Amino acid sequence: MFLAIRELFYSKLRYILIGLIMVLVASLIFIISGLAKGLSADNASAIQELQADYVILNSDAEMDMTKSFVSRSNMKQMEQADGIKEVNSLSIQMRNATVNGTDKNEDVSIFITEPESMLLPIVAEGNAINSTNEVIVDQSLKREGIQLGDTLTFGEDKEVKVVGFTTEQRYSHTPVVFMTSEKPEKMNAFVVNSGEASLTSIQDEIGSNYEVVTNGELLKGIPSYSQEQASLNMMIVFLYVIAAFVLAAFFYVITLQKRDQFGVLKALGAKTAYLIRSVIGQVLIISVLCIGIGVGLTYGIGAAFPADMPFKLSPIGMLQSSMLILAVSLVGALISLVQVIKIDPIEAIEGAGK
Amino acid sequence: MSLVLENVSKIYRDGPKEFRAVDDVSLEVKQGEFIAIIGPSGSGKSTMLSIAGALLSPSEGEVYLQGENITNLSTKKITEKRRDQIGFVFQAANLIPYLKVKDQLNLIDVLSKQKRAKRSIELLEHFGLKHRINKYPNELSGGERQRVAIARALINDPQLILADEPTASLDSKRGREVVELLADEIKNSGKSGIMVTHDERVLDVCDRVISIRDGKIEKQ
Repeated sequence: MFLAIRELFYSKLRYILIGLIMVLVASLIFIISGLAKGLSADNASAIQELQADYVILNSDAEMDMTKSFVSRSNMKQMEQADGIKEVNSLSIQMRNATVNGTDKNEDVSIFITEPESMLLPIVAEGNAINSTNEVIVDQSLKREGIQLGDTLTFGEDKEVKVVGFTTEQRYSHTPVVFMTSEKPEKMNAFVVNSGEASLTSIQDEIGSNYEVVTNGELLKGIPSYSQEQASLNMMIVFLYVIAAFVLAAFFYVITLQKRDQFGVLKALGAKTAYLIRSVIGQVLIISVLCIGIGVGLTYGIGAAFPADMPFKLSPIGMLQSSMLILAVSLVGALISLVQVIKIDPIEAIEGAGK
Repeated sequence: MSLVLENVSKIYRDGPKEFRAVDDVSLEVKQGEFIAIIGPSGSGKSTMLSIAGALLSPSEGEVYLQGENITNLSTKKITEKRRDQIGFVFQAANLIPYLKVKDQLNLIDVLSKQKRAKRSIELLEHFGLKHRINKYPNELSGGERQRVAIARALINDPQLILADEPTASLDSKRGREVVELLADEIKNSGKSGIMVTHDERVLDVCDRVISIRDGKIEKQ
C-alpha cells in the first residue's frame, strides 16, 4: 500500500475525476434498484405477501390470475385431496370506490375471500373483519385521506366500512381492499395450506384441469410485472457493465502511462505480486470510497422523494449491489494487471533488449 | 571478484537471421573497481549492462555475482538478487514521480521489508540533499535528481553499482560531479561499479575503460 496511497494523494485530480464517475454510476445503480423494488412492491406486494403455500389456478389461465376461473363445486374436491390441509378461495376485482358518498374516489383491487380465511392479513391499525360489510385496506389509502370508519361504495350495490389498515398489500399499482363473503362468486383461484406436501404431489392429486403454482410464479403472470422489472433490470445490468468498462479503460490507460515506472520498480527489485497488490489496492480504495458515497447519496435522494413514489431501499439489497459493483470493478482492473505482469524490468535500461 | 561475465552472448533471432547483440564477452570486475563501457549506439553496451544487472539472461555463457552463478535463477530469485545486491542508477534518474525524496529511498526498504530510515537520512545528508527531503522529483534540479538516484542505489548497500548514462541529462559540470560522487562511493566503501556512458570527459574518473563495438569488446 506504500505506493498505492502515495500515488492516490499525488495524482488527486485524476483519481477524483474517476471517483466522481464511479459515485454517479453506483448511485444510479442503487436508485434504479430502489425503483425496481418499489415498483415491484407497488404492483405485487399483495401476491408476494400472500399467506398461502400454493395457489391453484385453472390450467388455461397461463399463470394469470385474472384470466383464471374456478368453481365452488370443485372446492370440496380440493379439500379432500391428499396433502391439502386447508383451502380458501380468492376472487380479485379491480373497482373504483367512492369514499363516504362524496365525489372523492379511489381505484382499488378488491380481494374477496371467506371469513376466517388464511388470506386475511394481520391488521396494523384498527380491528379485524367481523362481518361481510367490513373491510381492511392497505395503509397507502391513509395517505389519500381515508380513515377508520369511512365507507367505501363500489358501484351502486355494495357499501362497506373500513375497520382496519394493513401493510404491504398492493396489487397492480392499486391498494388492496380485503373483503369477506360466505360464498364468494366468480372465484379466480383457490389458495391452499399444504403443510409438508410438495407442489408436484398436489398437482398429481388434483389433475390436469388445474395448475398448482407458487407465489413467485404468480408474479410472472401479473400483466406488466415482468416487463416492468425486465426493463429496469436491463438498465441495472448495463450500469454494471459500464462501471466495469469505465474502470477498465481508466486503469488500462494509467497503467500504459506508467510502463516506465513499473519497469524501474521491477528493476529495483519490486516483485510483480507487489505491484499487482498495489494496483488492486488502488481499485479497492477508490471503489469502496465511491460506493460508500453512493450509498449515502442514494439514501439522501430517497428521503427527498415524495412518500407515494414507488421507491424502496433495503439494506441487504444495497449490500448485494455494493458487493457486485466492487466485484465488477476488480474484474475491470484485470486487463491492467495483465499489462503489469507483462512489463519487463529491462525497460528501465534504454536501448537494451531490442 | 564482484562480477564475472564468462563468454557471454545475447542472441536475438528474427526469422532465419541471427543478431548477436553481445558476442562472446568475458569481463571481470574487482572489488573497488569502477569500469566505464563506451561505444556507439547499438553496439550492445546497454545489453551488456542489462546482463550484468540481472535484468536480462544471456543466451550463452555464465554470469557470477559475488561468486554465485546467477545465470539460471528463477525470476523471483533474480528479483531478490537485484533488490539486495545491485544498485541501479538509470538514465534521467528515473525517480518515481509521486514519491518524495525520502520515500524514494524508503521504497527500497519497503520492497525488502527492512528498516533503514536512519541510513537513508544519513545518505541524503551526505549527498547534500537534507533540505530537499520532502520534495517531489519535479521540484528538484537535474543534478539533485541524479544524486537522489545514486543515494537510492546505495541504500541497500549493494556490492555492485550499475549506472546507465548517469550524465545524459546534465551539463558537463554537473555530470562530472555526479560521476565523481559515484566513483568516491565505490572506492571508499569497496564496492564495484560499471557505467555505460557517451560522455568521454568523465572517463578519467574511471579505473578502466572498455570500448565495445558490434557486441564485441574492442579494447580494454
